[in-house]
Amino acid sequence: MVTLQLVGSLRKELADSLSTCRVLVVGAGGIGCELLKNVVLTGFKNIEVIDLDIIDVSNLNRQFLFQKKHVGKSKAQVAKESVLQFCPTANITAYHDSIMNPDYNVEFFRNFMLVMNALDNRVARNHVNRMCLAADIPLIESGTAGYLGQVTVIKKGLTECYECQPKPTQKTFPGCTIRNTPSEPIHCIVWAKYLFNQLFGEEDADQEVSPDTSCVLWDGDIKRVSTKDWARSTGYDPVKLFNKLFKDDIQYLLTMDKLWKKRKAPLPLDWLEFVILSGCVIACPQGVTGTGLKDQQVLGVGGYCQLFSRSVETLHSVLADKGDGAELVWDKDDPPAMDFVTAAANLRMYIFSMNMKSRFDIKSMAGNIIPAIATTNAVIAGLIVLEALKILSGDVEQCRTIFLNKQPNPRKKLLVPCALDPPSANCYVCASKPEVTVKLNVHKTLVLALQDKILKEKFGMVAPDVQIEDGKGTILISSEEGETEANNCKFLSDFAIRNGSRLQVDDFLQDYTLLVNVIHCENLEKDVEFEVVGDAPDKAPTPTRSQEEGKNIANGNKESSEPSTSSEGVQVNLTLMTFSLWL
Amino acid sequence: KRVKEESIISEEEAAQYDRQIRLWGLDAQKRLRGSRVLLVGLRGLGAEVAKNLILAGVKGLTLLDHEQVTEESCRAQFLIPVTAQGQNRAQASLERAQYLNPMVEVKADTDRVETKPDKFFLQFEAVCLTGCSRDLMVRVDQLCAQHNIKVFCGDVFGYHGYMFSDLGQEHNYVEEKPKVVKPKTDESNDGPEAKKPKVDPNETTMIKKTASFCSLKVALEVDWTNEKAKSSLKRTPVDYFLLHVLLKFRTDKGRDPHPESFEADATLLRQIRDDVLEAMGLSSELLPHDFVSYCFSEMAPVCAVVGGVLGQEVVKALSQRDAPHKNFFFFDGMKGSGVVDYFGPK
Repeated sequence: MVTLQLVGSLRKELADSLSTCRVLVVGAGGIGCELLKNVVLTGFKNIEVIDLDIIDVSNLNRQFLFQKKHVGKSKAQVAKESVLQFCPTANITAYHDSIMNPDYNVEFFRNFMLVMNALDNRVARNHVNRMCLAADIPLIESGTAGYLGQVTVIKKGLTECYECQPKPTQKTFPGCTIRNTPSEPIHCIVWAKYLFNQLFGEEDADQEVSPDTSCVLWDGDIKRVSTKDWARSTGYDPVKLFNKLFKDDIQYLLTMDKLWKKRKAPLPLDWLEFVILSGCVIACPQGVTGTGLKDQQVLGVGGYCQLFSRSVETLHSVLADKGDGAELVWDKDDPPAMDFVTAAANLRMYIFSMNMKSRFDIKSMAGNIIPAIATTNAVIAGLIVLEALKILSGDVEQCRTIFLNKQPNPRKKLLVPCALDPPSANCYVCASKPEVTVKLNVHKTLVLALQDKILKEKFGMVAPDVQIEDGKGTILISSEEGETEANNCKFLSDFAIRNGSRLQVDDFLQDYTLLVNVIHCENLEKDVEFEVVGDAPDKAPTPTRSQEEGKNIANGNKESSEPSTSSEGVQVNLTLMTFSLWL
Repeated sequence: KRVKEESIISEEEAAQYDRQIRLWGLDAQKRLRGSRVLLVGLRGLGAEVAKNLILAGVKGLTLLDHEQVTEESCRAQFLIPVTAQGQNRAQASLERAQYLNPMVEVKADTDRVETKPDKFFLQFEAVCLTGCSRDLMVRVDQLCAQHNIKVFCGDVFGYHGYMFSDLGQEHNYVEEKPKVVKPKTDESNDGPEAKKPKVDPNETTMIKKTASFCSLKVALEVDWTNEKAKSSLKRTPVDYFLLHVLLKFRTDKGRDPHPESFEADATLLRQIRDDVLEAMGLSSELLPHDFVSYCFSEMAPVCAVVGGVLGQEVVKALSQRDAPHKNFFFFDGMKGSGVVDYFGPK
């Protein structure tokens, strides 16, 4: 019989390595709090935790290391203090900082035996993925949304990295759906958020709210003053604003009769009509329940007219107080900003014959709120530590991707372990010499767009350096501030970049080099600036046999500025082959 | 026994519970708010369940444990301060448990659960038993089921853990399903007048359902000697039999297997395995020789997993929303597999 020395449940060798190794926990929120607790109770002694966020009251239903008195303080800091309460001998270093800060370079990551992610957004996940590949440190990745969750292990050379499988990008809607023919509440909510930016925030050419004449062959007048300038010219008069957006612009849309041949036409609103009629049947609240939350009530149109007017006045006043050239940033937790979007979206829904929604529901969609509870995070964080123990024991081949379902699958499994997949041969991140091909119009693509939209947004780089492979090693973009700023507003073709050109892109922080092949294309789809060859646009990847229940990790509510398109009320049937947890 | 629903939720509650109200709805939150729960046992698993229920926002949680804090239990659990040695475990856990959510009435009770009279249990909507002997669990389950009190049991043994639930013969609940959009009958008519407003594709509807549970006694006394049972053996989680062995150990020794007496306890475990499986008419090879290596002590991450599933089952039962797991959940921390299975009469 083998003599087995146990420390608690663990073999002595394992227990010893736990107390000497260093681990990094990225994130101190829902998963992070549970994870820190598990890590410390399991016997890890040297722990570093990083989180850029501060504590909010809505965190308190699950981030149990925080109390009401901690609201406003650093999550990483308070988490450390709370943990020390029940384990004073733990050696914890807390960073109130972003993991993407260049201070946390490859050398920093090399200090750790393993890294455990507890993140809620894809950008940070991509970054940590690359840092761990560069440092060759095992990474345990995880995510939760509502009742669902998953954990997986990423080890360079052995498993898929986080970016091996292309992940569908956040759903966006075509301009004319938002501006002309909304058919779902979400379209109206997106429109309302755009309107907020046009009136009070940073104006964006991609966030137009006025009727779009380019969708249909139309020879009407194309007079266009910027929405903000127009609003300023009227002194942000709520009634004038109301009549322009909800009456005049709608009447303009009605003249584009092609749009309404097969669709129900919108009904313009008139301010006077609703001021007079408020108190009458039309303005009565729909479905008021005495037992609901205040925010869950759906008011009548008259109520939203008033809310629109009040919030415009408040926001205008706040904007004016900030001085010249000031801009507001939309925030779901800022009451007038939320009121504004609620009112504007509902008025538009009413106009387009959709059932109006409560502030509560609109906040979910506009604010990308992902419902969250303690128990899901507790389960996932437990699984993370169990995977960590396998890694530390040298049993990486025992590691699995594990999915947490809401209900057991036909084989009775609530927790489903799946074998890890090997790295993808043509992954543009972890392949030995990553290469990618991008289709764009060299005459119409700005250098700045290449940097921001393609290299940073699409390919997840933080500080790219770009050299043209033109025999001269021309530097197109430098990560050093100011060095290549003059290039930003030039087109790629200005640098003799054409069909077949190759760009060498480096991100030194991520220790990542990507070769970009350029294909010149003049007929990309409408609203599309570039296309990555080999991408499956907006579709989940078809699963391989070992990917039984899909491979995509919940991204929490920081996914993008686009609103959430799915409500938790929709059942995800996990007995199907794939599901995706990003939103 | 109907749970009293207070119709007004304060702004403070709405703000704090926002992210869970968005998941399980306001009605469910109100039912939780009206529920009192008894939690027996404040070791690793108990602490996890306590945390989960307190955060969920039940009306009251009573922590019942007669044991004292030892040096070891300080390290095993995150509610007990390191200075609390010698104190009662429930008492020592109280302060940090209360801090988790001041809106919940958290109490500590230092009595032995065996000494509690029947009427003690009747003040609760749900009872959760951890670290209890088989006989005690069977007795409490029998008593509570008569009074429509939901009963949950759970334990963690090393890398393994289980939970059991008895929600009574008629547990009513609702499930939220997407609304079925009826097909248009006037598709040929494309005139604008015929256009109906769009049905929101995200709209859902509540469907009422009922589930029926058997007692713990019956669930543990499944007969494996008949042919039908034998044929289902292949699909039966081995953990069910492991549970029998560990409960027998607990009954015989008055404690769980302890690393300090690994050799002796391992030997006894194997003996019990042979006895238990033989009594059931099954081969002792059902539980492999090395099973003993993985069931000592309570592993923190396993407590987290089992406590998470168990906590959520209590929430579901009290809120009467979503299908409950029927009637066992077994977790194997070595494999990462978590299985729900039913043991009892068909």
